[in-house]
Amino acid sequence: MESKHKLSSKGWLALFALSVVVLAAALCVFNVVTDPFGVFDDRVLGWWSYDETNNPRTAKFSYLEQHHDEYDSYIIGCSSTSSYPKEQLDEYFGADFYNLIMYGADMLDVEQYVRYLLDNYTVKNLVLNVYIDNGCDYDREADPLTDAMPWQVDGSSPLGFYARYLFADPRYGWTKLMKLRTDSVIQDVHDVFEVDSGAYDKSRRDVEPIDSMESYLTNYPVFANYPQSAPVMDETENCMQSIAVIRDLCEAAGVNFMVVSAPVYYDYLMQFERAQVEDFYTSLAEVTPYWDFTMSSVSREPRYFYDATHFRNCVGKMALARTFGDDTVYIPADFGVYVTPENAAEHVAGYWDVPEPDPAQYTKKVPILMYHDLEGDSLPAAQLEEQIAALAGAGYTAVSFEDLRSYVEQGTELPDKPVLITFDDGYLSNMTYGLPILEKYGMQATIFVIGCSVGKDTYKDTGVAMRPHFSLEQAKEMMDTGYITIGSHGWDLHEVEGRDPDPIRRGILRRADETEEEYIAFLQEDIRRENELLHPILGKDADILAFPYGVHDTLSEMLLHDAGIYATVTTWPGENTIVKGIPQSLLCMNRYDITEEVSGEGLLDLIDGAAGA
Amino acid sequence: MSFTSGTFLVFVLAALAAYYLTPKRYQWIILLIASYGFYLTGGVGAMGYLLFTTLTTWLAGRVLGALSDRRKALPKEDKVRQERIKRRKKWVVLAILLANFGLLYAVKYLDFTADLLHLPRPGFELLLPLGLSFYMFQSVGYVIDCYRGKYPPEKNLAKFALFVSFFPQMVQGPISRFGDLAPQLTAGKGFDADQVKYGIQLAMWGYFKKLVISDRAGVIVATVFGNYTQYRGAMIFAAVLFYCIQLYCDFSGGIDITRGVAQMFGIHLAENFRRPLFATSLADYWRRWHITLGQWMRDYVFYPMSLSKPLARLGKWTRRHIKGKLGKIIPTSIATFTVYFFIGIWHGAELRYFLFGFWNGGIITASLLLEGWFQRWREGLRIKTDSLPWKLFQMARTWALVFLGRYLTRAGSVSSALWMMKMTVLDPEVAALWDGRMLALGLNGWDMAVVFLGVAVVLAVELYQERGGHIRIALERRHWAVQWLAILIPLAVIVVLGAMGGDYIAPGFIYQQY
Amino acid sequence: MEQLLRILNETCPGIDFENETALIDDGILESLDIVTIVGEIIDEFGVELNVDDLLPENFNSVQAMMALIDSRRG
Repeated sequence: MESKHKLSSKGWLALFALSVVVLAAALCVFNVVTDPFGVFDDRVLGWWSYDETNNPRTAKFSYLEQHHDEYDSYIIGCSSTSSYPKEQLDEYFGADFYNLIMYGADMLDVEQYVRYLLDNYTVKNLVLNVYIDNGCDYDREADPLTDAMPWQVDGSSPLGFYARYLFADPRYGWTKLMKLRTDSVIQDVHDVFEVDSGAYDKSRRDVEPIDSMESYLTNYPVFANYPQSAPVMDETENCMQSIAVIRDLCEAAGVNFMVVSAPVYYDYLMQFERAQVEDFYTSLAEVTPYWDFTMSSVSREPRYFYDATHFRNCVGKMALARTFGDDTVYIPADFGVYVTPENAAEHVAGYWDVPEPDPAQYTKKVPILMYHDLEGDSLPAAQLEEQIAALAGAGYTAVSFEDLRSYVEQGTELPDKPVLITFDDGYLSNMTYGLPILEKYGMQATIFVIGCSVGKDTYKDTGVAMRPHFSLEQAKEMMDTGYITIGSHGWDLHEVEGRDPDPIRRGILRRADETEEEYIAFLQEDIRRENELLHPILGKDADILAFPYGVHDTLSEMLLHDAGIYATVTTWPGENTIVKGIPQSLLCMNRYDITEEVSGEGLLDLIDGAAGA
Repeated sequence: MSFTSGTFLVFVLAALAAYYLTPKRYQWIILLIASYGFYLTGGVGAMGYLLFTTLTTWLAGRVLGALSDRRKALPKEDKVRQERIKRRKKWVVLAILLANFGLLYAVKYLDFTADLLHLPRPGFELLLPLGLSFYMFQSVGYVIDCYRGKYPPEKNLAKFALFVSFFPQMVQGPISRFGDLAPQLTAGKGFDADQVKYGIQLAMWGYFKKLVISDRAGVIVATVFGNYTQYRGAMIFAAVLFYCIQLYCDFSGGIDITRGVAQMFGIHLAENFRRPLFATSLADYWRRWHITLGQWMRDYVFYPMSLSKPLARLGKWTRRHIKGKLGKIIPTSIATFTVYFFIGIWHGAELRYFLFGFWNGGIITASLLLEGWFQRWREGLRIKTDSLPWKLFQMARTWALVFLGRYLTRAGSVSSALWMMKMTVLDPEVAALWDGRMLALGLNGWDMAVVFLGVAVVLAVELYQERGGHIRIALERRHWAVQWLAILIPLAVIVVLGAMGGDYIAPGFIYQQY
Repeated sequence: MEQLLRILNETCPGIDFENETALIDDGILESLDIVTIVGEIIDEFGVELNVDDLLPENFNSVQAMMALIDSRRG
């Protein structure tokens, strides 16, 4: 049967060619629309943090082309550059910084970028961060999609550049679309950049609780069993030539140029050949004087690092404070030296003599006691007196969270045997029975109040009777004695089954029936109402919080951090270790639940060894 | 250059254009340049091996041809000189076999031999060049054919070099015969739209199997076998099943790409797979799986061995002294075992591959030996041998045997293969198949569905072919719009699903290092 | 011819040797059968066959096999 719709083989080939062209065009359109590397200005999705994660070199370029007038200063280098916080840079320099960290950047990448910045944008200050790896890699052959420089910066052919991205594997764009659906405000592996500052998004790392060395090594086993490698620094000469070019470019452009050398973890540096390391850092001094943070007691403390080679923001903050002589910030004495050709050789030789730091000098164990009501079915006042008397007798000094904060942020020393006494919920009995005992023994305490229960003796919605809570005026009265600090226990995060209408909110966590957005709006409103209540008596927003029922998660911790809460406590029993320079050591602290069964002796047994160095 | 790279597609397109724009007399030169260009992208070091095999086998062919001519010129009565020449020819073949297989041995098995004999390993590391065993088998076959006088040897070294290096088959075969391939390579072809169309269709089918199915199935295989002690029996069983899917789709897909590309040049390469899924016995399976290797083994190992004087003498003796079937099949069994032994170690120099060869040889011999019994049972049970259920039973039986063999070829060692078999039987924990654990192996539900749908398509097509259908010809009779859809949909499927399996990089062909 | 048919039916029972003309091409006989048959022929007819003779066209039918045997006897 001959059909008039038959297709000759030549016709078939023509259709095939047409189909290939159509599909190729579709691929190009798809890649431009999804723009997973931010090379086509990401006009449709505008998800820069994703693009920068895929390729910081191209995506940051496109971003800066649109936004460079918002910045007048840049800090540039490989991944360790991201831990110098923009807030400190802006404050100390009086400028608007953009963090041009490109992971795996070698000094040629940096040189090319600096040249472009100086030629095309307004630049007042340029901070160059040098890392030990810069001596190992130079002009590295990189992945053509994820490591490529924009053609405008490295002077390659625009044709090849765009062809690569137009015909890129569609799964890059597809994955971006898929991730869009599950995007969260919590930083994820696919969007690790903070768009405005250009730095790695450390919102998660900055609220991650940090405690004893033992628990840290469990969470970060990499430091217990440090990976072995044999790095070779064979690119020192090229690296130094590029730094010299950068120095000269800045000088010619009248740009304030500063070089910092990033902290290197001790075990990592020890894997290098000593002569090569000495050559690298003394050569650097020959090119330009620099602030050296490479090796100090900081390098020997794993808690200052969040992975095998990257130091935390709090360390970057200390480094900047050192360079600007800010003595309000705690800085280890041996951290940061200004290196010039005169002192370089001697200073660098000292890298191998840095002693293991003594934890007693910068960490402290602090037990926290948790009380609730002091009458009725809860702890009778007489028992409290026995316990407080025992503490006083054993030489304990009650301290406040503010004291802990001073220790961590300024290095202000704490008494030998510090202890924190806390009361949850805000019961009137704390005032009537507790306060006189505290005053008698000279012990201060913190009370975390539930905002909506203040001054109440019935549940807010059901009218069911409950133990009476003190009023705002009474709280102020207690504060005025100097023995009481007030913190937050949430405005309304502490509902009780049967006493509050369903669905109840039992703690700070997101409920299953809420979207992330709804939850964020809810929690921010809860925080706002608590502050509205407490601000008049505190003279500031609440800055410490006890988690209702002790539960918490990353998102709630982030939101509290954003609201200015610097310390949080849970209901998990155990000791706490706080570390100078690490504000996260004040987060999610443990508390011993003190009940009427605990005698004075028993209390001392419980916290014995949990206090002091 | 991987078949699945964009570079390869551009390369083929450029080669095609050059080929059809060149006068027919010189077309073969384009193929030669393309082939050497293709091989060079695999590294200059590999070139030495290729040139060595090409030169030695070409020279041997010439020498054998000259000796044969001299022998023909001799008077028939001069038996002494005839014999002398025949002996010389044997020496030439032996030398070529030793030189080439010696090289193959050195590259692949030296470390293994040293370990076996508890000797220190040789200090040097030889790199296994692309497709070495494939072109070596092909060229050595040529030398043996010249010895047998099947065709006059090739005089032109360049044309011969093309036969050895023809680029589509450099990655994983098929192993072609000189008599089939060489005349096609040098014939000169006018542009034939039919051939180009068929070639494109065949290659697309190959890409579908390879990119859409095999690469996905491979994710599960790698996860489970890479950490097999973490999984219970049913999941191990599933992983072996996925491995069978991966292996077949990868290997046959690669061959389809090879044959499709060759067909675009108007060149027909031998079939290497004939729907092995429908095999009714293990012997049948080996006639459908990697056919050109099996035929090579048959013609150059099995026949000569079976008919060799020692085995013939042994055969006479056994027939006389051992009653029944056994006496008759002993010599052929020895040859059979030898063939599967070679096929086993062809995969790699490891104990598990020896066992794999032994397993196949053993089953095939045993089935020969027990054939009489089986027949009596079948008659006793009144089984119709041409009924569908019986066919299905035979197929299932064959799958089971092949399946067991696959534990050996994929597991890292004999002991791990045995451990996995033991787990499959003794500790299956079947619930793992549907309680979500299967989705934790690297493929989400969507990818899993793509694998199963893809396999269903392959099964449907193969069933149609097994019943004598020809998809490409059937398609030609349809409305042009249908034909266009038959281009657009598969292309889109390959581009979209072939590249969207997740965050893994397309792995190289499993077989190319063998 | 009858001698040959007897051999064939003994080695590979159940095949219509008298009428089949594509024993090899249709896959009715396979390599193992051929080797056995050749072994028997060598024994019974006292002729010499070698690998070069193992071509499909020589074994496709009983007539072809007979022709092969005859050519070697002569």
